[in-house]
Amino acid sequence: MKLLRRIDYWLNRRKRDAELAEEIEFHRLASAAPAEFGNVTIAREDARAVWIWPWLESVVQDLRYALRNLRRQPGFALVALLTLGIAIGLNTSLFTVFNAIAFRMWPVKDPARVVKILEQAPRFKVLNGFSLAESRYFAEHARTLSAVIAASGGRVHLGFEGPGKTTNGVFVSANYFQALGVAMQSGRGFRDDEDILDAPENVIVLSYAIWRDHFGSDPAILGRRIPVDDLPFIVVGVTQEGFRGTSPGGEDLWMPLAAMQVLTPNDPSTREFLWSPNDCCSNVAGRLAPGFTRAQAQAELNVLSRQFHREFKSEAGDVVLTEATLLAGFDKRREILPAFLLMFAAFTMVLLLACANVSNLLLARAAARQREIEVRRAIGAGRARIIRQLLTEGFVIAAGASMLGTALAWKLPALVFAQLGEGPNVRLTPDLTVMAYATALAAISCIAFALAPALYGTRSKVTRARLSLRSFLLAAQVAISVVLLIGAGLMVAGVRLAKDRDPGYRIHDVSVISLDLPASAYDATRMRDFYAQLSLQIEKLPATRQMGVTAREPLVNSHWSTVIRRPIEPAAIVHVTEFQEITGGYFDVLEIPVLAGRNFRASDDPRHAIIVNETLARRYFENENPIGKPLIVNDQTREIIGVVRDALLTGLERPVPLFFQPFGGQQPPKLLVRAGFAGANDIVSEIARQIDPRIYVHSTPLSDNLDRQLAGSRVMAGVAGALGGFALLLAVIGMSGVFAYVVQQRTKEIGIRMALGAEPRQVIALVLAGTARAAIIGLAIGYVAALGAAKLLAEYLYGVSPYDPRAYFEVAAILAISALAAAYLPARRATRVDPLNALRVE
Amino acid sequence: MGSGKSNDLLPGTLDLLILKTLARGRMHGYGIAQHLKIVSGDVLQVGESSLYPALQRLLLNGWAKAEWGTSENNRRARFYTITAAGRKQLEVERRELDRMILAIHQVLES
Repeated sequence: MKLLRRIDYWLNRRKRDAELAEEIEFHRLASAAPAEFGNVTIAREDARAVWIWPWLESVVQDLRYALRNLRRQPGFALVALLTLGIAIGLNTSLFTVFNAIAFRMWPVKDPARVVKILEQAPRFKVLNGFSLAESRYFAEHARTLSAVIAASGGRVHLGFEGPGKTTNGVFVSANYFQALGVAMQSGRGFRDDEDILDAPENVIVLSYAIWRDHFGSDPAILGRRIPVDDLPFIVVGVTQEGFRGTSPGGEDLWMPLAAMQVLTPNDPSTREFLWSPNDCCSNVAGRLAPGFTRAQAQAELNVLSRQFHREFKSEAGDVVLTEATLLAGFDKRREILPAFLLMFAAFTMVLLLACANVSNLLLARAAARQREIEVRRAIGAGRARIIRQLLTEGFVIAAGASMLGTALAWKLPALVFAQLGEGPNVRLTPDLTVMAYATALAAISCIAFALAPALYGTRSKVTRARLSLRSFLLAAQVAISVVLLIGAGLMVAGVRLAKDRDPGYRIHDVSVISLDLPASAYDATRMRDFYAQLSLQIEKLPATRQMGVTAREPLVNSHWSTVIRRPIEPAAIVHVTEFQEITGGYFDVLEIPVLAGRNFRASDDPRHAIIVNETLARRYFENENPIGKPLIVNDQTREIIGVVRDALLTGLERPVPLFFQPFGGQQPPKLLVRAGFAGANDIVSEIARQIDPRIYVHSTPLSDNLDRQLAGSRVMAGVAGALGGFALLLAVIGMSGVFAYVVQQRTKEIGIRMALGAEPRQVIALVLAGTARAAIIGLAIGYVAALGAAKLLAEYLYGVSPYDPRAYFEVAAILAISALAAAYLPARRATRVDPLNALRVE
Repeated sequence: MGSGKSNDLLPGTLDLLILKTLARGRMHGYGIAQHLKIVSGDVLQVGESSLYPALQRLLLNGWAKAEWGTSENNRRARFYTITAAGRKQLEVERRELDRMILAIHQVLES
């Protein structure tokens, strides 16, 4: 291959140049009169010029020719550029998001040397964190890691924020900032003496955003005391702009782990978390020591972990080290990856569609340029040379589209993410990987759309073949848009259904009244006392039965589960089951009927009585009557006193086994009231303030939770809808282009037929028949493909059948109307052909 | 034989002549120039500024190969060999040239 040899020359040009110089010098010395020898440098340069110049020159020539050609047809250039640019932009946007969560490393120094340390717990499939005790053990003994850091998130209330508002904070080991190499805007990270468990210090590091938005970028921020959950914390540092921590949710405040005792001194789980070797779930990471690999570190930590667990007589899991990306080891990974795969498939289809469109446009032009191509062949251009010229035109379009696409990908992901509310901690600015992806897409799509027309256009006998390629492209376009439109239709229907579906309880006229108590001042006993007083007051209210108390209102994004088993089952059997803490009023307000047994009464013992839902009753008590039966919950025997109807209280997908126990008052209560209970917020506020004036009471509609649950799906349905709309637009442009082309090609024939007395209807039928056939074949293929692909969507449809006939019917109607619209203008032109003019054209 | 007074050849003929020369056997650049000069009876004096570009062209097109060796006076020199593709090209160009000469001849004789 000449091109390969040229590249080889280019790569080894130093060596080649030296060889050439030596060779010419040899010639000079060998000749009779070396002094008369010509200019050695010119000889060398002329010889060297052979290597790359002629080729480069022809490339430049091709490029200029392509640009001139495109400029002469601005309409074509614009449509091609926009079509491909948007398609590449959409794909690059999707990849930008995927790249940000799957490939991009933490925004820290030398992130490739940072590892996440996770534990594959025995018997569980998910990856967990470690106890802090174990992470300290690692930090002390691991030689393959130069530092081990631990972190655990939590939400805190900042005194200067509005009441009831909380901020994502995280408790970190003192070496967090230093080990990760996080740059500081001002101040420093924590000192080792600030994270001593027995002597906690109230120090805090702020994110750049908090510093800018709440302190007006105050340069004198260091050393200031700020109220965190009503306790003063001293600001010791501000991180550099853009650093939002290392968790998927992002964080804005950092405090030493030891400070957890200051903020929640009365919570028994704090002690457990800080000291117990059996706790789990602090996020641990480390930096590889120089010269060690991830595999070596993993091997060492496995040994250390087994030693640690042997010491405490517990079971060790497998230590797994992953790269420091957001998604690595994240428990939602199994949900996220298939969703992305699906989206990539849909977005790729749009790109294919765009390529088919541009390909079709190029074909039409290739036909129009038949003459030019023949002339060029006649004066000696080889077929390969002409194909190269045509591909260069494709390259010019693709390069422009790639730039447009990258620009789009710069803005679009952030816009979509803004719809999700508090967005995840991702950096969406395109990086090198994204650029490479956009370029690769452009190159591939260039081959995809430009090669076939170039090959067909330069064939000697083109007519028949070109028509079949044209029909094939049209059918493909229609098929792809059918699949995308049906997918979009199903998803939109799914979100609509989820929003309107009866979740099994009242949701639209129920309010949630929350009571925020200063956590540092309330331990379990005080909380219970407070609740006892509160409930005493509430019971005095006339509408008392219209108020339900719970620890977590429906559809809130946290799930509490415990283990249950029936006494007849062996103790080793555990069923992980979700539960709720409520009062009897909960079922009354939400109108969830008690199907058997009875509702809770104030006299029920919170440690004894439980109510189960239908699903739980069905699963564990198939044909028995569960009322009065014992159930062992976390090693304590409870009695089932009632069965309630299934309701989607914890998630919208499907009812899950769920049991209810009487609200014990250990957590801040949430009160559920009907909208009919006017002024409930003020009444509760009044009562609460009499007990403790620091308590803040606020109320939100329960439907907010529903909206939050659906935000992701709504964005996805919106994306799918936009994609479907774009696909439809492309298909219409494609179809009308083909129709117009066919009419133009057959103007003469139409003229003759009209002259011979053909009816306009016959002419239209004649002109559109072939194209319509291709469209119908495409439609059929699209339907078959959609039926096959719809199954994959089932998970995102909230119960709408993937074969919902309405979506399929609507798409057929939309496409039929679009096809008619696309055919209208060309068909009209066909019937207006003046026979005389048509014949005179030739 | 400076580059200034190099004889005008028909375009593309130099490549043909070099290929023909190489068809006789391995030769270095200076040798090729000498051979052309002697065989043509001093008519064709190929300067280095046209010889070396031509040789690079042959290498690039895969019509000749080059390797380092030792010259008759024991100096390091680069020797060129014709390839199979080169022989084919020689045939093609030879025929083309014959055709051209015949055509020119016919024009002049008319």
